[in-house]
Amino acid sequence: MRPHVVFRYTGLVLLLNAVFLFLSCAVSALNSDTALFPLIYSGMISALFGLFPILFVPPTKEISNREGVTIVIASWLLASLAGTIPYVLWGGEFTFTNAWFESVSGFTTTGSSILNNIEAVPPGLLFWRASTHWIGGIGIIIFVLALIPTMGKTGLVLYRTELTSLAAENFHYRTQKTLQILVFVYMGLTVAETVGLLFCGMDLFDAVTHAFATVATGGFSPKNLSVAHYNSVAVEGVIMVFMVLSGMHFGLLFVAFRGKHRELWGSLVVRYYLSALVIGVLVTAWDIHAKQYPHWPEALRYAAFQVISLGTSTGFATADTNVWPQFAQLMLMFFTLQCACAGSTSGGIKADRLVIFWKSFVKRISKIRHPHAVITPKLDGLLLDGELIETNLLYIVLYVVIVFLSTAALSAFDVDLLTAFSGSAAVMGNVGPGFGAVGSMSNFSQIPDPGKWILSITMLLGRLEIFGLILFLTVKSWR
Amino acid sequence: MGLRFKILSGFLILAMMLCVAGAWSIYELSAMGTSVKGLLDENYKSISAARIMTEALEREDSALLLLLSGNRKEGRDILKAAEISFSNGLTTAKNNLTIPGENAFVEKIEAAYKRYSDLWKQPIVGTDLERNLDWYFEKVHPAFLGVKSEVEYLMTLNDRTMYHTAMDLQGRAHRAVMPGIVAILASLVFSIVFSFLINHYVVSPIIRITEGIQGFLRTGQPVEVNIETDDELNRLMSSIRELLATVKREK
Repeated sequence: MRPHVVFRYTGLVLLLNAVFLFLSCAVSALNSDTALFPLIYSGMISALFGLFPILFVPPTKEISNREGVTIVIASWLLASLAGTIPYVLWGGEFTFTNAWFESVSGFTTTGSSILNNIEAVPPGLLFWRASTHWIGGIGIIIFVLALIPTMGKTGLVLYRTELTSLAAENFHYRTQKTLQILVFVYMGLTVAETVGLLFCGMDLFDAVTHAFATVATGGFSPKNLSVAHYNSVAVEGVIMVFMVLSGMHFGLLFVAFRGKHRELWGSLVVRYYLSALVIGVLVTAWDIHAKQYPHWPEALRYAAFQVISLGTSTGFATADTNVWPQFAQLMLMFFTLQCACAGSTSGGIKADRLVIFWKSFVKRISKIRHPHAVITPKLDGLLLDGELIETNLLYIVLYVVIVFLSTAALSAFDVDLLTAFSGSAAVMGNVGPGFGAVGSMSNFSQIPDPGKWILSITMLLGRLEIFGLILFLTVKSWR
Repeated sequence: MGLRFKILSGFLILAMMLCVAGAWSIYELSAMGTSVKGLLDENYKSISAARIMTEALEREDSALLLLLSGNRKEGRDILKAAEISFSNGLTTAKNNLTIPGENAFVEKIEAAYKRYSDLWKQPIVGTDLERNLDWYFEKVHPAFLGVKSEVEYLMTLNDRTMYHTAMDLQGRAHRAVMPGIVAILASLVFSIVFSFLINHYVVSPIIRITEGIQGFLRTGQPVEVNIETDDELNRLMSSIRELLATVKREK
């Protein structure tokens, strides 16, 4: 492996960071807030660290799989580290541990926060906080959907669940074109949501920061009460629509935007994802109606927002789900584990993997019934061979094991079991809020410092599963 | 891009990081100094003035009780001294209007004090008012409490501002220290990356070229060193190749 090549390409990520840090400086200057110097200095450091390797290291045509994966992992780690600098420099509630947690939570699009008083943070820094989501989100879609297909067989085998529909597009387009498509969809969704929220009466700053957090399925809000602050059905409606859209495969969204709606509705994963959300909303509304909300419209409104928010791994809140009945909490926990579709910015196990799991289960039952039958299950045109099913199962098992280990580690630091488990599941799925001390209307500030480090590692594992963990486990296939 | 520019840019970046951090720390430290000065000059002076006024009011209240009990001389002497002390405090507060809304508080004190002092400026000893406790409790005491509470409002306003300034000082102290720490750590990491790149793109090629030339001198084998960058080293390698080819031809 050539470390200088890794320096060059991770430098590009730092440059993207620098662009957003300087944009945040502009926001800070417009508001004359105290975050201006921390943002300028952080932007300068990111820009210099990003530019310098580009000056020294000439561009390389060939990047090996190992280098590619190292670049991805290093990019996430370095971006997160650079992202802590403005927080640490500004101070307030940000100790180094808190700043690291907030930064990792932003870049991994988790949306868990340590801030007790978000509104005390200057606007420039809040803009940077929202930008970390947006950068993390675009990083996910570029690496997963545009760069991984260029990695050859290894990449394709491991990431087939992520590539189902865009892989076909890649045969027609070069990576450059695919990148343009993805960036177009991502930016288009961001602009459309910003305009939608402006129409609902939000100011520009709040609209942009919420759009950044929604499209990246992040969940950072500049308000202490999250979306509940606005108490507006229109605002909640717009955010819900964009949360659902951002949870879908971006390739499929692009195809649908081009007028081929049939491909979107024809996808079994999309049909499952939408059906699960609708059923989840109805069942949750049924449970919280009367017990928590006396009227049906109220119950439906809050159930819809919370289920969609967790079911797309966004993590915004309009209600304190800690006081909801246990069955409703269990429903929310299911969506915290499942989340949305592969090929989106969403985290979690993902709807695709559950559908593949179900198909492989049905195949196994059929094989028991008809031992000599040749059964080849398919998912949206993708042949589900043994290798793919095995990878899928391995992933689900590993996912649960990591959540369990994180829960155990947190419990060792005297965190209660509900908080430890729901917090671990929420950060592993890059969802954000859990239950107990880390509920939808609270934050992670009460978790002891070692617990915050455990949770930030879990966040990174949840985000990098696709790039790092499985690829490292399959080290032989690199050769 | 030339080697000179690359190496210079490395040092410039290091210098820039340290200079900006230093400048920022100096700015924050001088801002801290201004905040401390403000804390002492503005808030502390007003708080001290409010204390003087409260003390003067207490003395005036005691003097009034002396007048009510028939001690004219002693009572009037104390009142006179306390009035001077109060007006000194009020003047200090008037000349130290630094907080938004502070002016209104001072004006309210002035008005309330006038109402209060009008009550005891009239003759008391030897009139109907002597030993008239009803008059004291119905008119004088409420007026006294009114001025006192206005002075307390002024003190609270300054106390609160002092607390906010102290909190701001804490933040400024943090912001004065952190750039230095970040600059040191960033410079350390940058130096390591810089050394690695200099070693990879400058030192290693020079070693390989030297070994290649020594090999040529020993065995006559052509020098094949791949230089990835388009800089002085690449041109040096081309010149060496030409030189060695000429030497070989002439042999």
